[in-house]
Amino acid sequence: MVIMQEKIQQLRQFYDAHKRLPSYAEMMVLFNFKSKNAVAGVVRKLIDNGVLAKDGRNIVPAQLFEGVRLLGEVQAGFPTPAEEELVDTMTLDEWLIKKREQTYMLTVSGDSMNGAGILSGDTVLVERTSNPRVGDIVIAEVDGAWTMKYLRQKSNKFYLEPANEKYTDMYPSEELTIPAVVIAVIRRYEH
Amino acid sequence: MSTSISSLDQDFPRAIVHVDGDAFFASCEQVMNPALRGKPVVTGKERGIASAMSYEAKARGVTRGMALWEIRRVCPDAVILPSNYEAYSLYAERMYNIVRRYTPIVEEYSIDECFGDITGMCASLGKSYNEIVQSIKIDLEQELGVSFSVGLGSTKVIAKLASNWDKPSGCVVIPISKTPAYLSQVPVGKVWGIGKSTAILLHRYGIATAYDFIMKPPAWVAQKVHKPYQEIHAELSGRSVLPVSVDTKRTYARMQKTKTFTPSSCDQSYVFAQLSKNIENVCIKARRHGCRAQRVYFFLKTQSFQKHGIELRLDSATCAPMRLITLARIHFNNIWQGQTMYRATGCVLLEMTNIAPQPDLFGGHIQREDTENLGHIIDGIAARYGKHAVYISSSHAAHERTHVGSRGDIPRRMSHSLPGESVRKRLGIPWLGVVQ
Repeated sequence: MVIMQEKIQQLRQFYDAHKRLPSYAEMMVLFNFKSKNAVAGVVRKLIDNGVLAKDGRNIVPAQLFEGVRLLGEVQAGFPTPAEEELVDTMTLDEWLIKKREQTYMLTVSGDSMNGAGILSGDTVLVERTSNPRVGDIVIAEVDGAWTMKYLRQKSNKFYLEPANEKYTDMYPSEELTIPAVVIAVIRRYEH
Repeated sequence: MSTSISSLDQDFPRAIVHVDGDAFFASCEQVMNPALRGKPVVTGKERGIASAMSYEAKARGVTRGMALWEIRRVCPDAVILPSNYEAYSLYAERMYNIVRRYTPIVEEYSIDECFGDITGMCASLGKSYNEIVQSIKIDLEQELGVSFSVGLGSTKVIAKLASNWDKPSGCVVIPISKTPAYLSQVPVGKVWGIGKSTAILLHRYGIATAYDFIMKPPAWVAQKVHKPYQEIHAELSGRSVLPVSVDTKRTYARMQKTKTFTPSSCDQSYVFAQLSKNIENVCIKARRHGCRAQRVYFFLKTQSFQKHGIELRLDSATCAPMRLITLARIHFNNIWQGQTMYRATGCVLLEMTNIAPQPDLFGGHIQREDTENLGHIIDGIAARYGKHAVYISSSHAAHERTHVGSRGDIPRRMSHSLPGESVRKRLGIPWLGVVQ
């Protein structure tokens, strides 16, 4: 079916470009086949799977484009608002986490980032990255512990800036190790 | 172009990648806690022996299975940690998922290893086999922060050899045409799946290296050794006979749960509770895999590491802990010796089957079904409220306490629940600790 998916994808692209299905000769080129017989085999399979359909001698798309729902199919009553909007939904997880394998959590302690709205006890989601950008809130490794600060740059030198006047900027004595950047702050209020 | 493709097919009729986490548990600990970076780290405190050690600890002479007191002697500054399986499995899950980006055929071989079959994936990924394995390694190391050794071969056995060639952080590709050069450097006993006794047998026939082994014709091999070794012979010769198996539901011949407790005990009811908890746990595992045991083996291990056990045949296959605990209670006195200190108990399920038991004429199955259904209800509660939210009362004392003293240390993560978490139900994202 993986190979068929590829064919379906190629047919969709052709249809998008030409507003019609390709001829057998065009499909030979499209699928990189050497005979029309091979094309006919694929077409037969796609008809069996309900992707294409026969209309007399011609082939027409049946369900070449999935996911397009027609309001006209609603038999009785009003279409529900969800059907009219045709929106998809995502979970909080999907909303918060873009790169699952690179995402980690930490618990915040202390008030050094209060000014950024990150309080002691909050949970932060961080993403491992090899190129943090200046201005990001980053997780840095300082003296064998994690620290969370703004990443700043002054004349080619990187340093860490807290979001609280009580604390001073941190200039790394050696190399600055920044394994991750903060992508979300989560605070849960217990009821 | 056509010549390069045909040589590719000759070198890799199948292309199998093996991914192996380097000092995996210890590496996970080091990447989660910067205070451990560069230090000799050993995990396995709760078992009393080293289950994994960082390369710093290996360099100081700590080996797998070494007792804690000995570790403290050879490497006094070793950081010895209780295993945090929760975190290791999250990292393992990520490892499998990253390999799945490159092929749907991934075998989750163990918590720190997996195989992937990338045969024919070059065109769709737009990369050569070489580039695919390098790309897998880069993704793993960047996203997990742990180093991996990666190997590519035309069979699982060769892939495993390749990943092991240049540890840590190796990336070795062994095409069929280059296998003799590698195999002639590998003692036959070091090949994956060849144990000590088989190695001795092969030595007797003048086979010292893996290369000597593949030089023997298959007919000779078929005469001299059993089927698993014939398969290894084929695999070493470049003929893939062990498929990369995607079924997480492997058929188990046996399942076992055993747990050491400290201090050792001569309290009969406490030791029985430990056995009862192991029975419950092995049954949970059996139910998860949808299989039942036809035979069962209970054992107690004394402080001097002697095992006393009893093996019983069941009148019908089961995965219901109540039935096994009742049996264990009946036979417990046969294996219990007074005046003896015990350090561990265990339960082994044998002759596992996936076939549901037949109803019997006298209606005994009705009661059996009731106890089995109870198991599924317990699983349902566990899925909702966490493992061991309910447990059988005979296991109570073991749930109360397993380790006293420093071996009872629990991983950092276990003592730190995030808001809304319970001890047994956690967020599925690795927790890196506290940030200032």
